[in-house]
Amino acid sequence: MSESVVSFHSKKRVWPSEGFTRTPYWVYTDADVYAQEQTQIFRGDNWHYVGLEAEVPAAGNYKTTSIGEQSVILTRDEDGSLHVIVNRCAHRGNMICRDAFGTVKKLYCVYHAWSYNLQGDLAHAAFSKGLRGEGGLPGDFDLKNHGLQKLRVAKFCGLVFATFSNTTPPLLDWLGDVAQGIQRVLKKPLRVLGYDTQKIHANWKAYHENPRDSYHANILHTFYGTFGLSRQSQESSMVLDKTGKHVYFYTKSGTEKPSADFDKTTTDLRSHNDNMKLEDPSILKWRDEFGDGVSVQILTTYPSFVLHQIANSLATRQLIPRGPHACDLVWTYFGFADDDAETTRMRLTQANLAGSAGMISVEDAAVCEMMQKAAADGQTGQSFIEMGGKTLESGGTSKLSERAIRNFWYNYQRDMNWDAT
Amino acid sequence: MSPELQHRAIENLIFEWARAIDEDRVEDIVDLMLDTGTYKVQSRFNHDRQLPMAIIDCQSAAQLRDRIRSMRIANVYEPHHYRHMVSGVQVIASEDQTHQVRSNYLIIRTMDLDGDMKIFSTGQCRDEIIFTDNGPSFKSRHFLYDSRFIETLLVIPI
Repeated sequence: MSESVVSFHSKKRVWPSEGFTRTPYWVYTDADVYAQEQTQIFRGDNWHYVGLEAEVPAAGNYKTTSIGEQSVILTRDEDGSLHVIVNRCAHRGNMICRDAFGTVKKLYCVYHAWSYNLQGDLAHAAFSKGLRGEGGLPGDFDLKNHGLQKLRVAKFCGLVFATFSNTTPPLLDWLGDVAQGIQRVLKKPLRVLGYDTQKIHANWKAYHENPRDSYHANILHTFYGTFGLSRQSQESSMVLDKTGKHVYFYTKSGTEKPSADFDKTTTDLRSHNDNMKLEDPSILKWRDEFGDGVSVQILTTYPSFVLHQIANSLATRQLIPRGPHACDLVWTYFGFADDDAETTRMRLTQANLAGSAGMISVEDAAVCEMMQKAAADGQTGQSFIEMGGKTLESGGTSKLSERAIRNFWYNYQRDMNWDAT
Repeated sequence: MSPELQHRAIENLIFEWARAIDEDRVEDIVDLMLDTGTYKVQSRFNHDRQLPMAIIDCQSAAQLRDRIRSMRIANVYEPHHYRHMVSGVQVIASEDQTHQVRSNYLIIRTMDLDGDMKIFSTGQCRDEIIFTDNGPSFKSRHFLYDSRFIETLLVIPI
């Protein structure tokens, strides 16, 4: 890709001429860039994860969540269909749902008692005819024209996605080959086990790159390598969809292939710490419940969703940007509706491995924040993303590659309309 | 033991736990619990909804020791320390030598590098404390944190 020049009102940003193998640090700090992302990416042609069907199992159930900065409501109506609606009254913009979850017959704004059905259509506006012939709304007021803003909704294997755009391709087309990684895990009806939300003081993209980055996994996260859950020498692969927006990696434990390179490198790596033995290794006991030997699968869809299988720990992660310098990461842990008590206990025990207190993964939030601090004001410097090569294809299916990160920045620049200038 | 002395011993056990962590003797907290004791840190959000997932869920003293060893050897994070404020220690039920105890906690986290101080966590402790020949021990510690958020990460046990 050739040089991309980005113009803003009063300043000019220049993307490095190397294209998607470099990321200038202003992209993590600039408030104008952040504002443009809300429009071009979060309200653009992408599907955003909003929750699990299992979170709104019955008619009248709702969940309050966010797409980008925008608060939205996921509802299930009387017919059982799902709706995603902007959580903002069509009248004066007050927030309608204030609870994370609830059950209602209608959506009701407390400010002036405008109420909507579960599809988001306006049903009633208080005193719309005024009182004793005075006040009220004009004669041409029509309830039909004042509903809540509705998004397109699509579901797949119990996951619910929504998009603001009418031109986003159908969900399954958009997911492409990465859909099979979702299908592999979400085989049956789900049951939510709980939530964990992390406030990360770093730009959302610093986190989004992290689960796309298979290079770091076995290096930064000592726990993986030391206990054999995932090592570079094990059978592993990577699948990208044809656009390069989405990716998943997997590793099969117990498939060590001896290699002199691996033995030499790991003696130098901090992550291969043979002194570390667990007194109670039951936390690592897992069952090959999908019957394919995959011990870890990390799946990322652009720009804000992760599905993980770490042994028998299953969770979604939803990334919510909160300004250029912060993001929320919402982990939803789940099992299957037909899990027995022992299986549930195993999943709960393995929940110790990931999340905000995860013995494997606490490092990720720490690294994102250290990157953000090191970016400083973002005026200088750029990252170097050539592991595996310099193109979108190079690196192939190797985990020792930054191919999925190059593909992210390629798509990001296109979404931001920066490649044409 | 008089009820008054017993209450003091219970309070002291809770204070010992907090002080060991704040003085960076985190390993010592494991000695305050039974080998079969449990230690959980769970959001009030999950607990209120009868959702069982806890961000720390140690089913034995050994699992807590492993977590502390992981913190010392494996995990990467910006160096920081805690200060615990503990208040309102109340015994709400007793049966034989086992007492159900409630207390409030507030933890201020201070970062070593830039000195940044923040309220890191606050909530309620629900403890089951048992008196044996060796004095009081935690049979279970259940921290319920009020915010559904964790600031960055929780690696030092609370």
